[in-house]
Amino acid sequence: MIEIKDVKKNFGRKKVLKGVSFTAEKGEITCLIGINGVGKTTILNAITALTPIQSGEILIDGEKLHKGSYEKIMFIPDAITMLPSMRIADAMEFMNDFYDCWNEARAKELLQFFKLKESDRISDLSKGNTAKVNLLLGLALDVDYLLMDEPFSGIDIFSREQIADVFTSHLIEERGVIITTHEINDIEHLIDKVVLIDEGVVLKEFRTEEIRENEGKSVVDVMREVYQK
Amino acid sequence: MNRYIKLVNFEMNRIAKLYVVLLAVTFVSQVVGVIYFSKHFLKQVNEAMTGNPQNRQEVIESMSPLSFDQVTETLLFVGPILISITAVAFYIFIIWYRDWLGKNTFVYRLLMLPTARINVFFAKLTTILLMTFGLVAFQLMLLPFEMKIMQWIVPKDLRIDASINAVLDRFVELRIIFPESFIEFILHYGLGTIIVAIVFTFILFERSFRWKGIIFGFVYGFIAFMLLFSPVLLNELVLNSYLYPSEIVLLEVVAGIIVMACTVWMSHYLLTKKIRV
Amino acid sequence: MKLNFNNRDPVYVQVIRHFKEQIATGLLEPGQEIPSRRELANQLKINPNTAQRAYKEMEEQGLIYTERNLPSRITKDEKVLSIVREELILQAVNSFVSSVQSINVPLEEVIELVRANYEQASEEVRGQDDRN
Repeated sequence: MIEIKDVKKNFGRKKVLKGVSFTAEKGEITCLIGINGVGKTTILNAITALTPIQSGEILIDGEKLHKGSYEKIMFIPDAITMLPSMRIADAMEFMNDFYDCWNEARAKELLQFFKLKESDRISDLSKGNTAKVNLLLGLALDVDYLLMDEPFSGIDIFSREQIADVFTSHLIEERGVIITTHEINDIEHLIDKVVLIDEGVVLKEFRTEEIRENEGKSVVDVMREVYQK
Repeated sequence: MNRYIKLVNFEMNRIAKLYVVLLAVTFVSQVVGVIYFSKHFLKQVNEAMTGNPQNRQEVIESMSPLSFDQVTETLLFVGPILISITAVAFYIFIIWYRDWLGKNTFVYRLLMLPTARINVFFAKLTTILLMTFGLVAFQLMLLPFEMKIMQWIVPKDLRIDASINAVLDRFVELRIIFPESFIEFILHYGLGTIIVAIVFTFILFERSFRWKGIIFGFVYGFIAFMLLFSPVLLNELVLNSYLYPSEIVLLEVVAGIIVMACTVWMSHYLLTKKIRV
Repeated sequence: MKLNFNNRDPVYVQVIRHFKEQIATGLLEPGQEIPSRRELANQLKINPNTAQRAYKEMEEQGLIYTERNLPSRITKDEKVLSIVREELILQAVNSFVSSVQSINVPLEEVIELVRANYEQASEEVRGQDDRN
């Protein structure tokens, strides 16, 4: 379980996170939704210690993040994270070199799944394929937790469908996933839990099936209530 | 440790192209320089002899014979050395900033490697050192070869053959790069390494706090340099040169080790607690 | 197999309904093997935990059964199967009745219309089958 406890963060005078708390379970897909850009990516950065926080605590299976944690949790940012001059094969080799938990068989399977060619250069890839390579490099690690920043944004519909397929496949296995999005439509039936964020605070945290079952509301219904209040 | 070596290997591969270019430029420029300068000298001798071919001995006596250290003072010879020094100096910054700026955000990968982040710092520092040593070694190997070229072109009675050491002795700036003794080598390159490490820490301050970090970085750098040179400064300003040179060297070594330790600790702190992508 | 889920009913409930429809129409036969929860999640593009939940409920309702580590199968219990059929018919009739009631049509007229419509639709279906 990933626990975020009362995390506060400022960028200069601007308060980006004003005491954010929520949890994300292993074996579940938790979706961070915010209609205004800021905050979501910062939370993922903070979980993986890519940005300092002013106060609060972040625990991964009860432990604070340390260097060994990166064999357990991986962040997949919304940008090219390998050198553009690399071929996909080079990027895979880089991961294989540095991570004990790299799963080469799964990497090969993902190449096929995404219809990517190992010999392609990162700099020549389309936006959709870049996102897929990013995902591949994260999913091929046998980590327990995956954080994905806007995996669906700015890419074509077929790539989006392919990426959505990942979430229902064995490639996710029993892992815990946190994804951020500002657009829920593609994945409404794929996620277990929603954390609605706005202006640096968590407005509501709920399980999608419970809200449908107990209140007969869709995720968008809840968003409408919460954000337009 | 293992991942540190992999990181060094990775960083070295990233500069391989630039590195080959630097070596090639040095080679071509210096060899061309030696050939051109030697031929030019012969031409002068020939001009002096025109009309009076019997006078070779007199001409030789009137003109000073060619020695290799004259070649080392030409632009074609010194130029590539200056270019290499500049390239390394720039690369001290580029080796960090290339991971944040530009199209890719490779710093995510580096910071999320399952290894202590200070290894990234050490790997980059090692890369700068290896790059420097490589250039120096290449230059040292190139020198005898270039002397041979001069000897092929210029006849024996028109030149003075000197040893490499003698050539370097006459060129004070080169002596810093190619020290005479092993102790000096350690001192020169030890000092160089500490300075690069301090600059790295400055960069990490900037990367952690951006604009404010530049100020922190300058303050840190100033303190570090004061501490580093405190034995010399104290001796000159307070103690009226009370200490022997060998004692100063010893104190400098101690100061160097302390400053290096502080800089590594500070960088470790910034990389684990303050850095941002 | 791509289902169009609505966003306001629990997905697991919709999955169960989908199974019941298939059982009632004979698309799924008694004793037939059903996909694993992972396969089902993948086919329907739903969360694997939701697929798990649906199977658990169906198991409890006796719609499916699992023997040891073998794949789950549709029940062969005639009683359960007929209940499923009745339930579906009842549901369809209920929703039909409530929409017809809302426009105040007399029962006799409705039944006449239903009979005519039903026969015509059945003929069309038969006609299509012949052509195929």
